[in-house]
Amino acid sequence: MKTLLGVLCAVLAAASVAAIFHTNGYILGLFVAALTIAGVALAWALLGNLGGMISLGHAAFFGVGGYASAILAKSAGWPVLLAIPSAGVVAAMASLVMLPILRLRGAYFALAVLAYAEVFRILATEASGLTGGAAGLLSIPRIPSGVFGLSDGIVAYSLVVGLVVLLAVCYDRVRRSYSGLALRAMQDSEAATSVLGVPVFRLKATMLLLSAFATGVFGAFNAHVIGFLQPDYAFSGDWSILPMVAAIFGGYRTVTGPIVGAIAIYLLDQLVFKNLVPQGHQIVLGILLCAMILFSPRGLVPIITRGRSAVSKDKDARHVAA
Amino acid sequence: MRDLLLQALFSGVLVGAYYTLITLGLAIVFGAMKIINVVHGDLVLLGGFMAYVAEQKLHINPVLAIPLSAIVVCIAAFVVYLLVSRIREDRELNSLMLTFGLAIIFGNLYLIVFSADIRSSNNAWFQQGVVIGDFLYSSRAQICTLVGGIAATVLVWLWLSRSRYGIAIRAVSSNREAAMLMGMNPRSAELLSFLIAALLATVAGAAVYTTAVIQPTLGYDITIKAFVITVLAGLGSVPGIMLASMLIGIAEALTATFASSALQDLIGFGLFLVVLVVRPAGLFGASGREA
Repeated sequence: MKTLLGVLCAVLAAASVAAIFHTNGYILGLFVAALTIAGVALAWALLGNLGGMISLGHAAFFGVGGYASAILAKSAGWPVLLAIPSAGVVAAMASLVMLPILRLRGAYFALAVLAYAEVFRILATEASGLTGGAAGLLSIPRIPSGVFGLSDGIVAYSLVVGLVVLLAVCYDRVRRSYSGLALRAMQDSEAATSVLGVPVFRLKATMLLLSAFATGVFGAFNAHVIGFLQPDYAFSGDWSILPMVAAIFGGYRTVTGPIVGAIAIYLLDQLVFKNLVPQGHQIVLGILLCAMILFSPRGLVPIITRGRSAVSKDKDARHVAA
Repeated sequence: MRDLLLQALFSGVLVGAYYTLITLGLAIVFGAMKIINVVHGDLVLLGGFMAYVAEQKLHINPVLAIPLSAIVVCIAAFVVYLLVSRIREDRELNSLMLTFGLAIIFGNLYLIVFSADIRSSNNAWFQQGVVIGDFLYSSRAQICTLVGGIAATVLVWLWLSRSRYGIAIRAVSSNREAAMLMGMNPRSAELLSFLIAALLATVAGAAVYTTAVIQPTLGYDITIKAFVITVLAGLGSVPGIMLASMLIGIAEALTATFASSALQDLIGFGLFLVVLVVRPAGLFGASGREA
């Protein structure tokens, strides 16, 4: 019931934004971009909150999704609205190669994902037959417009609102489900949970696939909004940093936090920080991230290993100095 | 063909010496505090920019300016340490994110202060070629880096295994509580590891400035490279870090010579991921890093 109310509020808020700014393409475009970040932030938070895994390389899925959708729509001639979810599937498939690193401890996992993102970026640059190499793909088919005589901006905007709401509802469902309970238990003690018969690995893998799928969908959506892709753009660290800062800022333990955080951070970044510090405006994001971690760690960054710290302590004891 | 192969191996060793310099600092902090200091690459880059300022603005030889740069880099490292040491709970992940945030701050600061231009040394002495045995080519700066890398490895190794403070760092790293009971102050050992890392970063910064080019986003690449090598080497072995650095350097040089230079980063990441999965303790390490 509460979720339904939340969704209703979100849709109403979205509709009013659309109504107010439908003539101002720039502002509407900003909201589209902010909601794209919000979608990735939500997918990132899903992995972090439910799966207990912090990723520093969500750009990997974002880029794969963007390229997959662009290639399907441009070279294979698929309709854009079919290419976008298919790209999500491709991104999820790409995340399968990360299954071996699921057993790594937090910081190792985070940086290993980052390494994967780099690998994907290099592959996208090298597979120039498919991706156009470093020069990239131009004139990617746009989101179909003109439905019911609506302008391009409004169609893209409605689509992204729909995607974010859909992801939020799915996220909430998973969180309340039996699996969500198991995942929460897992964060207290992975060993104990697995002893109780919970398929820990399978659950974590599912969260990774789900997060990759969702991120891929938003990457695909973005590709069709922007209309061009380059490896350095599609796999840019920004797609990892912005959603992470946004989710932590908004509170990544909640469903609404990453969305609110993303809209706030992105609009602030574009409308305020960029004007204050034209070059290097991301410095503010760095300051925000540091401030959140330093002054408000509880609820922001994992209580993930709250129960695990006792276990990891004796593991740490086995480390020797480098 | 033989010459080409030998040249690739030689270049790999030269690059490996630079990799050793950037990795030792990251690995020492990692060993002492169990945190991955993402900002380490930016400290190396700070050393590089200090070398640039010394050479172009103050007209001091960048290598002779190392003591001056070291002061600046050590102050920066001290600030990083103060912030990181404030973290009480879930230190591993929180400090990862904190230093990630700091790396964003540093990178953008360089962008604001030094602009996005690519900078490199214009000192002719460093660029002068050195030819060994008629077919092994390098520059004086690269030879200096090789000597510096080997010297740093030996010094750090001796220091960690012989000196009072080195032993304290190893003790704190292996068991913080027990070390405290023995009357050690873990905080000073941790701070010391940060300062040693800063010194190494300064030398590495001068090396990258004289052998290659620097620009504001380089710090991120340096951190990733150093992390990859740390994982490859595994914790607990200083010579292991040097070997892993050489291994990566040679693998990259061979890839660049016989395949394509674009693929050379792929080989490093490929090795990294294979080692993470197949031998999580690293090639020369002894402990696990699994959940």
